[in-house]
Amino acid sequence: MASDSSYASPSSDEEEESAGQKPTVDVNINSIDTSLDAIENQLSSIALNAPIDDGTVSSTDYHEEPVSEIDDGSLRESVSERRRNSIGESSSSRGSGLWRNNLEVGVELEPEGDGSPSSPSSSGYAGERGSSSSAASASDTDVIREIRENGSSMGDDGVVPLDPAQAQWIRGKRHADEDDGSISWRKRKKHFFILSHSGKPIYSRYGDEHKLAGFSATLQAIISFVENGGDRVKLVRAGKHQVVFLVKGPIYLVCISCTEEPYESLRGQLELLYGQMILILTRSVDKCFEKNPKFDMTPLLGGTDAVFSSLIHSFSRNPATFLHAYTCLPLAYTTRQAAGAILQDVADTGVLFAILMCKDKVVSLVGLQKASLHPDDMLLLANFVMSSESFRTSESFSPICLPRYNPMAFLYAYVHYLDVDTYLTLLTTSSQAFFHLKECRIQIEAVLKKSNVLNEVERSLSDGGMRIEDLPVDPSANFGSLFHLNQRKIATNGTVTGVGGPAGLWHFIYRSIYLDQYVSSEFASPINHPHQQKRLYRAYQRLYASMHDKGVGPHKTQFRRDDNYVLLCWVTQDFELYAAFDPLADKGVAIRICNRVCQWVKDVENEIFLLGATPFSW
Amino acid sequence: MASRRRMLLKVIILGDSGVGKTSLMNQYVNRKFSNQYKATIGADFLTKEVQFEDRLFTLQIWDTAGQERFQSLGVAFYRGADCCVLVYDVNVKKSFDNLNNWREEFLIQASPSDPENFPFVVLGNKVDVDGGNSRVVSEKKARAWCASKGNIPYFETSAKEGFNVDAAFECIAKNALKNEPEEEVYLPDTIDVGSGQQQRSSSGCEC
Repeated sequence: MASDSSYASPSSDEEEESAGQKPTVDVNINSIDTSLDAIENQLSSIALNAPIDDGTVSSTDYHEEPVSEIDDGSLRESVSERRRNSIGESSSSRGSGLWRNNLEVGVELEPEGDGSPSSPSSSGYAGERGSSSSAASASDTDVIREIRENGSSMGDDGVVPLDPAQAQWIRGKRHADEDDGSISWRKRKKHFFILSHSGKPIYSRYGDEHKLAGFSATLQAIISFVENGGDRVKLVRAGKHQVVFLVKGPIYLVCISCTEEPYESLRGQLELLYGQMILILTRSVDKCFEKNPKFDMTPLLGGTDAVFSSLIHSFSRNPATFLHAYTCLPLAYTTRQAAGAILQDVADTGVLFAILMCKDKVVSLVGLQKASLHPDDMLLLANFVMSSESFRTSESFSPICLPRYNPMAFLYAYVHYLDVDTYLTLLTTSSQAFFHLKECRIQIEAVLKKSNVLNEVERSLSDGGMRIEDLPVDPSANFGSLFHLNQRKIATNGTVTGVGGPAGLWHFIYRSIYLDQYVSSEFASPINHPHQQKRLYRAYQRLYASMHDKGVGPHKTQFRRDDNYVLLCWVTQDFELYAAFDPLADKGVAIRICNRVCQWVKDVENEIFLLGATPFSW
Repeated sequence: MASRRRMLLKVIILGDSGVGKTSLMNQYVNRKFSNQYKATIGADFLTKEVQFEDRLFTLQIWDTAGQERFQSLGVAFYRGADCCVLVYDVNVKKSFDNLNNWREEFLIQASPSDPENFPFVVLGNKVDVDGGNSRVVSEKKARAWCASKGNIPYFETSAKEGFNVDAAFECIAKNALKNEPEEEVYLPDTIDVGSGQQQRSSSGCEC
């Protein structure tokens, strides 16, 4: 209780203009307009007469607007209603001066947000901070001071530079020669540690675990000390660094990061890291620690460094890690149906789950009876398969655990790659089922080849999915299918590089709540570089965290303008939409484009989503 | 490939304040000694790699504070220790008398599975002081106490001169290792779909 409220909300109020922060707004639906139009409204008045005072966004007279008792169904209606108004207003007063002002609003607001996290008092953790440093010795204070120095000496661009060897994680641990004495180690932007409750290191993202034994002991001392006082340490801020703790029985997980990701995101990443460990070992490890607190579990995890490294790598490159949803490879409806039918056939012979995936995208998925697969389990399973080299070279049969399905017990996974990127995973409860599953696979493979599914999969992978430049802007247009679009694209320019969407739309992610699935647009100019993509995902992540903040949420809409983007988020009962626009994009137009995106997704939903799968009842 | 994995041993150093715990550790890990007394706050952590009988070990050394006000840290620090080192000052009788308390306190707080055979090592430190003339605890007396507690290995050391320090820590590693239990086969359950496991997990009541 005390502990739950004792960390400061890291998202504070930054530059965001979100509905929940304006308590006077009584109709939620109205919020997007309230905050958005307020800016424009104010700006238009500025353009007409006075200079802007301090960037405070007043809600002006919109409360009096008769936008009452609107339910979700008619949100679009009301949004477009307001949109028309706002477009009218802004276009009447649009000019270069106005835009400059508009940008300044975003810029001025930022330092406020930047200033507060660096002040130590923002931690809200004064008690624990004090006590943990007293518990944790000269060497500990040393470490915190060092980190603080690092923090102030770097990262002021707020951008995380790409790692020089971007794909090297797949080969295993990076920089194994480092330890907590190395300058390079201390400068790493994001560390992850797993250790036991006796302080023995289990995993470290960077550096050799044994060389980090002293550091690991320090972490345990901090955690155990606070625990001893009947409390729990969740977050420590030290300058630009956040130290996030997660205790799972005898397993302690710690992230030390200066990436400015919200606490909730980092904590979610630690949960996934723990889930990955459970996938490999089940929670039966807890029993080993009960019997023997000295228990060293590193031998049990032998050879899995690459699995953890690749998961951590995906935290800023795979939206599934924060959306808790999976994504499908776009396929013609009949193609996916054909794949689903053959998987269903084998599922009926006692296979618990049959999953056909291409990289991290689902082609089809079938579960026995009512058994359902949590998106996080799918993420962890796919990561496990893709990051373990040995699965690629031969058909394999391995015990695995699905932490959200049953964290205590093993299942058995038969894994076979059908081509370079496409792999079939069959899960069963029987350790004797290898030969049966092998036969199932032969059967499935034959059908998939005969019905041309594998070729279609390969083609879809190279063609990509939804391209923002194909977004039908005319509201009456219904394209119905993605595929003739893509073909046309290739036919005309011979290239599939996107050029950007209408009205400054750069990218979007649409998450269907009922389906537990999301679809994201292909990256296009100017978000071409992996570096920019990572930054955009981080921005979405912040947006997600602020929209799902239990303290002030849930929110319905958020519009945010900063130096890099206009970000628009819209959450309803059915879906969540995250969209990024040019920072100069017009708000009213952006809202209209978002409506078009939603319509487009609905038009092609049977190609981008797996429909009619077992309902996910979590 | 190394035929056997590296092992990590957690070693806790206990004893009254000022008996030289930190100095012993510094001598062992860094080969350094300072006459300046600097009280440890809470605990210091040091790592030392050692090779012993063709195997590579990492000693994770927990150098704790001797002052009574830090006693409450016990449970948090002692859990999962592989060996406990008790240190006293041969020139201070009280620090020897307190060994019993330190030992008992450790056994209570760490609650090891087999307290009778938990590996301790006793070090009588500062044998160099005043050429041994200010010594008040005889080696005989110390050895007698160690024998009465299940034959705890005993070393007379001088952190200042580096006397016997390596030998003591080698024994510590050896003892920690001796206590290592036979590894059991790791064999978690397999899901049994028939017996309603799914029901249980999907209703989320395992939390």
